Order: sequence, then structure tokens, then C-alpha cells
Amino acid sequence: MKKIQGTWGLQWLMRMSPDKQDTLLKMVILTLAAILSFSTRLFSVLRFESVIHEFDPYFNYRTTRFLAEEGFYNFHNWFDDRAWYPLGRIIGGTIYPGLMVTSALIYHVMNFLHLTIDVRNVCVFLAPLFSSFTTIVTFYFTKELKDASAGLVAASMLAIVPGYISRSVAGSYDNEGIAIFCMLLTYTLWIKAVKTGSIFWASFVLFSILLHGECRYLVSSWGGYVFLINLIPLHVLMLMITGRFSHRIYVAYSTVYCLGTILSMQISFVGFQPVQSSEHMAALGVFGLCQIHAFVDFLRSKMSTEHFNILFRSLVLLVGSVVFAAAAVATALGKIAPWTGRFYSLLDPSYAKNNIPIIASVSEHQPTTWSSFYFDLQLLMFLFPVGLYYCFTKLTDANIFIIMYGVTSIYFAGVMVRLMLVLAPVMCVLGGIGMSAVLTTYMKNLDNPMKKEKKSTKKIESNYPLKNEVDCHLCNPTNDSFPVVLHLPLHLGHLRSLLVPSIVLSARGGDGSRIIFDDFREAYYWLRHNTPEDAKVMSWWDYGYQITAMANRTILVDNNTWNNTHISRVGQAMASTEEKAYEIMRELDVNYVLVIFGGLTGYSSDDINKFLWMVRIGGSTDRGSHIKEWDYYTPQGEFRVDKEGSPVLLNCLMYKMCYYRFGSVYTEGGKPTGYDRVRNTEIGNKDFELDVLEEAYTTEHWLVRIYKVKDLDNRGA
Amino acid sequence: MKTLVLFVYLLQAFISAHCKVNQDVIDANIVNSKVERRLDIATHLVKTWTAITVENRGPSAVRSYLFVVDPSLQEHLSFISAVAKDHKDEKLLVSETKVSGHNDKLFFRITLRSPLESGKTVTLEVEAVYSHVLKPYPSAITQAEKQFVVLETNLYFYSPYPTTSQMTTVITASSNVESYTKTKPVSQSDTSINYGPFEDKGPFSEATLRIHEENNSPFMTVTNLERLIEISHWGNIAVEEHIDIRHTGAVLKGPFSRFDYQRQQDGYSSVKQFKTSLPASARDVYYRDEIGNISTSNLREMDESVDVELRPRFPLFGGWKTDYILGYNVPSYEYLYNKGDHYALKMRFIDHIYDDMVVDKMRLKIILPEGSKDIELKVPFEVQRKPDEVHYTYLDTLGRPVVVLHKENLVEQHIQDFELHYTFQRWRLLQEPLMIVGTFYLLFLVVIIYVRLDFSITKDEAKESRMRVSTLVDEVQSAHDRRSALYQSYDDAVNKYKSSKDMTAFITSRKKIDADHKLLTQQIHNLQAQLKTESSEAAEK
Repeated sequence: MKKIQGTWGLQWLMRMSPDKQDTLLKMVILTLAAILSFSTRLFSVLRFESVIHEFDPYFNYRTTRFLAEEGFYNFHNWFDDRAWYPLGRIIGGTIYPGLMVTSALIYHVMNFLHLTIDVRNVCVFLAPLFSSFTTIVTFYFTKELKDASAGLVAASMLAIVPGYISRSVAGSYDNEGIAIFCMLLTYTLWIKAVKTGSIFWASFVLFSILLHGECRYLVSSWGGYVFLINLIPLHVLMLMITGRFSHRIYVAYSTVYCLGTILSMQISFVGFQPVQSSEHMAALGVFGLCQIHAFVDFLRSKMSTEHFNILFRSLVLLVGSVVFAAAAVATALGKIAPWTGRFYSLLDPSYAKNNIPIIASVSEHQPTTWSSFYFDLQLLMFLFPVGLYYCFTKLTDANIFIIMYGVTSIYFAGVMVRLMLVLAPVMCVLGGIGMSAVLTTYMKNLDNPMKKEKKSTKKIESNYPLKNEVDCHLCNPTNDSFPVVLHLPLHLGHLRSLLVPSIVLSARGGDGSRIIFDDFREAYYWLRHNTPEDAKVMSWWDYGYQITAMANRTILVDNNTWNNTHISRVGQAMASTEEKAYEIMRELDVNYVLVIFGGLTGYSSDDINKFLWMVRIGGSTDRGSHIKEWDYYTPQGEFRVDKEGSPVLLNCLMYKMCYYRFGSVYTEGGKPTGYDRVRNTEIGNKDFELDVLEEAYTTEHWLVRIYKVKDLDNRGA
Repeated sequence: MKTLVLFVYLLQAFISAHCKVNQDVIDANIVNSKVERRLDIATHLVKTWTAITVENRGPSAVRSYLFVVDPSLQEHLSFISAVAKDHKDEKLLVSETKVSGHNDKLFFRITLRSPLESGKTVTLEVEAVYSHVLKPYPSAITQAEKQFVVLETNLYFYSPYPTTSQMTTVITASSNVESYTKTKPVSQSDTSINYGPFEDKGPFSEATLRIHEENNSPFMTVTNLERLIEISHWGNIAVEEHIDIRHTGAVLKGPFSRFDYQRQQDGYSSVKQFKTSLPASARDVYYRDEIGNISTSNLREMDESVDVELRPRFPLFGGWKTDYILGYNVPSYEYLYNKGDHYALKMRFIDHIYDDMVVDKMRLKIILPEGSKDIELKVPFEVQRKPDEVHYTYLDTLGRPVVVLHKENLVEQHIQDFELHYTFQRWRLLQEPLMIVGTFYLLFLVVIIYVRLDFSITKDEAKESRMRVSTLVDEVQSAHDRRSALYQSYDDAVNKYKSSKDMTAFITSRKKIDADHKLLTQQIHNLQAQLKTESSEAAEK
């Protein structure tokens, strides 16, 4: 007491009642964590500018702008003729409007209060905002699972975990950013409902389900969240198996399932999926089981054991066969949607690669490497098992949930890089539980070294040195060994690369200054201003969303890869010779073709490196059966653009568009002309002219090249 | 009858005075004794400079001179001004007028400094700028080709008065002139073609002058300019210009080859970059467009201006267009003057965008602080004032008045100041900060009330007892503290006794301390007992 009186601040703190101290500390730590999680995500805005990143966010941004300007009904009925020419896309019916509605709402509220902010800035800052909400929700979630101190640790970890930051930096305006918030909110409320068994909390779960309509039903769009909808049923099932089923769980689950399903069906895109598609069957099945289980319990309480056993056996047989028959019939009649490819690829990582090239072509759908586990989760990799251990030592209904969540998500994250995002929060929660448990166990020993000198006679516990050691390693920064607690923040440096908006590339110049390659926007802006309003632009689907949003031109295919044959057609055009490609382009009314070419600057994710996917996807449909992947390899099976390369490759449209006139450019000192800096070779076919295309625009660093499709020759000529 | 005629005259005078319909007649006694004309077609503008020696051959003094714009240039005129040769720093009043019988022509009345007496002469210098006169010919060129333009206008000085002697000099962009009208006498030197002297031409005489020259100057036109000036009485004026530009020269035909453009530096008439001069006090300059920041610009601070070298996202070839936003802040003390509650803003109507600029359409919006009244505008030339608008931004309640002005066809010569007078009450400056303070005050008040008052209907026994326990513990603590203070005073008393040997004083003080000690110990015991009962009670609950 006397020692503390020295500092005024602490004295003031100590004067408060323990209750108040507790609240104050909690508030301060939570607020700091929330601010931290917001501000760490702003690097790219500070270093560059407030701009939307990546590809998908541009679509979300464009639709949000439409919603904010035109109102909800126009949005709902919006038929977009800018995409998927000549098919078009009914935007209102094919997206999950949650994200757009959220930001449009924020936009309107702010402007109603005359706090002028434009839609773009709302979109840019939405993800950081929601991640700071997530921090707070994580606190409550972990608090429900263990206690407030674990919650605080988990919240502060979540604020800076790289796996989550990378998906929610300012400008990455995507469903994921807000879905994680909604997911954790749902789980928090679910745990609350399970613990109390009250309909009140269960109905709150609904509210949050409604809120994250898109999270729950994003499922069907990319399969990633399949297990998320199934997690709650799985939890219930597990509770039944372990004999922990009770009235509380019955009330909670029945309410959640019935109301949740009905409400989610209100989103027009979801429709009847919740009761038809196989991905949702587990939820329905568990719902049925719940009823049976409850009924059996009821019977058991009314009957003698003997009678009950006979009844039970016959019932199980009957119900089992009926359910099986019904499922078989429904599948046969097509009432239950067949298992979709993306779902298989979750269970079997090699499935997609072998069967659906378009899924495999997305880098986010690749299996996760071990190193990325460490880079995305850092210290949490080691705290996770500790947390699991502490959960197992004190099993409760809620702990079973978090254990299941942790174990399943670590499996799924191993399958797809993208699902690392789902893993990150549970890692933080379990890591937080582990860390806080370790700290509470060993923290008591921390004071001892100072007292030890005065009272050396005091008997020390037998395992004291060990405990002290553990503690020093954990949190004593003056110690020689590196404090583990500080480990996470210090490694944030790795994130720098994640915080650059992919729309702007930057490099170091010879004199150390920063060179900015702004070629993408240069090209898109050129398209926007110097092509006819109704021009159709053909490009690989990666750039579709950006072109519609920034260039405002009609495109053939975009990142919403719903029509495989159409994309395949574009792939065929890119992979064919000029004459063949011209036929396809005339068929599709193409006016301009856009390719990304990194050979001059050394930008490696350009179209030549993606080309094999175009070939594979192009050849995956009937009309493209003449395109064989092997034709594009050398006899030795290599993909080369130099003289050794396959002649089919050296004469296809993509090659010609990328390397048109590149053969006379000097790119690097001491190298011949036409030296490709990505493939590190001199290109094979240098001197050729384009017959059916003409160069319309090439950006300053040759990153984007746009060609105009010539009209048919005049008959007389 | 006479009264009726008088009445009609009066009415006419009244109408002419109020409707501002200037009506002039051509004075037959005026003669242009000598005219020297210079047509500058070196850029994409046509700049004419005409020195006219006016002679009054009539009996009475003449107050004004009529200048008529050549019919071929009539709809391209963007700027006209006149000075007398001997008083160049004093601009003469030039106003548009009508002449009966010549309704299709554009007349300007130049009011002379002093009436021109009979038989005297005066030399006027009229400067006029015309835009979009030069037509690219051929109208489409490839990237490697040079741009040629054609000027078609009047060989003679177009005037309502007879001209005795005249000479015309055409300044071309380069010595490469494809063809030109060869009406004698004519001579061509390096970059100029001289016509004349031509003698004794009657009023409104015309003959074709056609020049086909190489002109690679970028034909850049601002097709639409929106200039926003937002005044803050906190010391800042924010200026933002939304600029749409287009290359109006010969259209690019065929492909654009980046290779040739980088290697051979061709594309002679293309716009690679240009320079905008901003006021010297400009700060926080930004250069962006709809899809974000444009990274290709350089800022250079000069003594008299801040020069921004702007490069559009892509080079502009003939027929290509782009747009951008350029904004900056200037301190208000340089442009805003006040006297009590009366304020006057004096700023440029349009600012420099690039050298020899042409602005087809322009809209100037001046956003005044919330609550500004009695707005009064003074402009240096004729502009169209649109109805005022209301603008809402941060924390506005009533909105800010916006003055909207519109003008077409502007050139560099239009860079002139306008004045805007208004009144604004100073206390309103504090309105918005007070609003924020008030809001937060209310918020905190609500929180305080919410936290201090107990809104629960039921009584939480456990919480109550916990609070009681904590107060008891506090009391124990303070009693304990006091008791340990007693030991200190006991020590003091012993020390005092050692030095003074005063037994009685020592005994009394010891007794007193003992009593206090006993009291406090008793108190602590009581509290302990209370605590015990409390804890057992709490355990029950």
C-alpha cells in the first residue's frame, strides 16, 4: 500500500472500489484494443491513399454506390448490362446485400447528420471499423467461454492477428470483413442461449443471423463457410452424443433453427436453398434428432425400462429407414441439390484440381502451406494447444463448442488458404484462454524474487524455480529471454506487404526513391474516357470487376464466375490463333481486348503466367475440345516463351498481344532485345504483325495493353 | 400631337435606359486612315491585335468608335479589349451594341477617352482572342504525322468605316506553311506572312484569307470547368476545380504505339504534361480523379506562384479526353476583407490552368459560411448568375448559401478578380463547436445519470452485501492506519521523555495514546465481528 502511494495515478486508481477498478481496466484495455485494431489497418491509406483494393471489392463498391444513389428498390431490380455480355446479370437477385446495405445505411445516416462523407470512404473504412467491433465481440465471446481476463487477452490478440488483418485492411471492402464480426456475434449469442436456455437470447441469435445473412449464405457462393452453418448443428449433435443434451439446448436450437431458416429465406438469392441443398441438410437433420431426443426423454420419464427398450429399438429402425428412403428419393428427384464441387474440394483438396479448373485457378483456393500458418498466426500456433488443454480440463457445454470450432476450422484452413480467416478468430480465442490461464497460474510467483532477498529463510515451493522461469519468459521484458507476450506485435512487420493496395504497384528506384506503377488505373481511365460508351471489353475474368467499376465499360466475364462456358469461350479466344480468335471475338461482339503484361517491369502475376489456366479452362468445355494443354508445352513438358517454346504457344492470340512489338525493346542492360524480365528469357517470336487487332493503348510501363478489334474488311478490298 | 411625340420620345429614352439595349448608328464621317493588323496563329488560339488610326472628318466631335467583329470569327470571340495608343495602361470601355440594318453582325462600341474633335486623329489598339477558329486539316492524322491547321478569315480589316490604308501580318507557328492566299502585295519570311498595304477599301469589305500551316501546339480545351470556392471564417479558403479536358486538334487515326512514343518521341501534337500556376500561398495541393490519386505530378514553389506540373494519366492525342480534380487551400487573410460584420471576398474568377488556355464552359460556385446574408456580387465582365443554392456539409443546420455563376468561352485574359460582399455575424463562428460540446455534454450527462442511478426493480442482495463489506474493509484499513500512527507518536513521546526527562508529561501522553489505542483496537474488533456476520450472511445467499 505504501509503495503505491508514490505515484499519483495509481493512488487515484486504488481509491476506487474494486468493482470500479475492474470496469475501468476492462474499458481501457478494450478501447485500446479496438482503436489498435482500427489503426493497424490504416497503413495503406496513410502510405498511399484511400482507395479500394483488389478485385472483388470493386464490385462491392460499385453496387454500394448504386444502392446509395438509386435506393433499395432500384437496387433490388437492377439488371446489370455492363457485365457478362451478352447475358447480363441480375444483380439484385444474385448477391447478398448485407454488406452494401450496411455501408449504404452508414452513408445515409452520416449524411443525414450532415457529416459529409462519400460512399468510397465509407467502403474503404468499413472493414477496419468492423474489425474493431469484432475485437469487442471476441471479448464477450471469450468471456462467455472462460472469464473476462481471457476475453481481454483474446480481444487484444484479435486486434493484431495477421491472418485477420490481411483480410480487413482499409480498402479491402469485402464480405469477409463484416462476416467475421457477424459470425462471432452469432456464436456469442448462441453460447449465451445454450447457457441460459432462454428464448430471449436465442431470438437474438436470429437477429444476428439476419444481420449476417450474407455470411451464413455466402456458403453457397464459395463453400468456405459451409462448415460455419453446420457448426451449430454439429455442436448440438456432439452434446447429444456426450449426453449433455438438456432442455436448454432443445429450446435454443429449435428457436434458432426455425426462425433462422425462415428469416434467411427472405433474401431473394437464398430462396429455398436452406431446405433443399445438401449443405444445409445437417442442420435439418439435427433439428429432427433434437425432436426425437426430446421425445424419447419424455417417454423414458413416463415408462418402465423394459417397455421403453422395445419401443426405442423399433422406433430407431423405423425412423432410420424412412429418413434414408426420403433422402434417396429427394436426391433422385433433384429436390436436394447435388453436392457442389466446392464442397467436395473442402473435404478432398485434390478434388477441384482434378475436376474444375476454374476453382483451382484461384490462388485463394489452394491448400495452405505450413509457413503461412506461422506467418498468419505467429505465436497463436503454440498457444492454441494450450488453450485446448485448458478447455478440456474443464469441459462445459460452451467449451465443447469452442473445441469443435477450433478443430474443424484448423482442418478447413489447411484445405484452403482463404479459410485462414475463419481460423484466426478461434485461434485468438483459444490462445487467449491459454495465455490467461497460464498467466493466472504463474503470475503469483512473479513478485517473489524481490521479497526473496529480504526473507531468504522463507521456504520455497518445490516447483517454484520452474514456475518462476515460466513466468519470466512469458511476460518479463527485462529478462534476457525474449518476452513471449510481445512476440506477436513485433512480428507485424511482415504485414507491410499485405498493406499495399494491389491496384498500385511500387518499386524502389536506383536512387532509393519510390517508383509508383499506376498503370492499371491509367488503362482503366483511358478506357473510360476514350472508348465508345457501349464498347465491349474482353479480358481474363480477374479484371472484370475492376473494369466495370473503374472504366465503366461492358465486359464479357468477371470475378463472379457463374458461367463456366462463357469464361471458357474467352479462354479459347485467348488460346487460339488470330483467325480463330477473330471468329470468337466477332461472335461475342468484342471491341477491345485487354491484357496484363509484366515482361517489361517484372510484374509476375500477369496474363502469360495465368495463361495455362486459360488453356485449361478453355479446353474444359465441348466447344474448346480442340485446345489441348499439351500443345502449349515443349516436348519436354515445359512452359517456355523463348525459341524452344511450343509453336502453338508462340502464335496464339495471348502471346501476340502481350509481346506485340516487345521484340524491339531493350529491357535490361547486357541482354538482347525482347528480354522478358518475368520469365527471364528472350522471347521466341519477335517479329510479327497483328492482322485482326490494332494496338489501341499501352500504359507507360507496358503493364496493361489494350487492343482494338478491327472491323471486317470491306468486300471490295 | 406634339405632346404625344414627346411622350413617345420619353418612353423610348426610358426603355433604352432600362433595358440596356444599346443602339448605335454608323457615323459616316469617321475614316480609318491607317490600320495595322496582327493575326497570331502560333497556338491553337487566334489572337488579333489591331492598331487603328481613327480620323474624324466630320464637323462635330465624336465620342465613340464602332468595332465590328469579322463574320468568320464572330461566334468564336472570347475576349476583347481596347486601349488608346498613348495611354496604354488605361483600358477603354468596350460594350456590345447593335446597329440597325446590321443585326447579324457583332458590334462593340469603344468609348474614347475624350471626344475626338473634328479633323483630329487617335490611334486605338484593339486586342481580341478567338477560340476554335483553326481547323485541323487533315482532320485525322496518325501518331507519326504532324498536325496541320487551316485558318480561313477575312483578308481585309472588317469595319463599318472606310479604310484608307491597311496592312496585315500573320504570325504562324512554324515556317512550314503548306499554302496561303497569294493576294498581292504579299511576302513571307520565317514565321510571318505580310499582306498589304491595301489602299482604300470601303466599309464591310471582304476577301478570303486562307492559310494552311503546320501547328503542333497541343490543342487542349477545357470543355467544362467547375470551380468551387469554399470560405471558412476559421482562416481558410478551399478551392477545388473539376476540369474536363479534351484534345481538339487532329484526331488520332490508327493505332497508338507505346513503343514508338517512347523510342521516337513522336506524337508531336499530343499533350504530355502541362503546367498550372496556383497562387503563391496555395497549400495542400491535391490532384486526383474519380478513381483516386494521380501520382504523376510535381510541385514547385516559386516566389510568385506555386507551379504544379500535371501529367494526365495518359498522354492526350487528338480526340482523346480526360478529367481531373485539382484542389488546394489558401489562407483567407489574403482574399477576405472585413469591416465589422461586413465581409468582402476578392478572388480570381478563373485561375490559370495552362498557358493559352481555352475554357468552353465554366461554373463558379462560391460557398459562403452558414448564415451569410446580403450577398452582393461585382464581376469584371459579364457573367450569368444562376439561382443560389444551399450546400450542407459538416454539422450544418440551415445550410450554406452558394452563389453560382456561369460563363462560356474563357481565355487567359479572363483571369481577373471578382468581388463578393456579404454580412456575417461573428458569434455564428462558435455555433458548431458549441454544438459538439453540447452533444458530448449531454452524452456524458446521460451516462452519469445511468451509472449513478439504480434502475433495477429487484434488489441484488449479494451486491449489496459486497458493497457493505468493502466499506467495512475500508474502515478497518483506516483504523489500522491510525493505530500504526499511534505507535509513531508513542515513539515520539519516548524520545521526548529521553531528552526532557519530563515524567508527568510522558505519563499523560502515554495514557492518552494507550486510550486511543484501546479505542481503535476495540473498533477494529467490532468491525471484524460485523464483517464476520456479513460474510456468513453473504454465504447464505
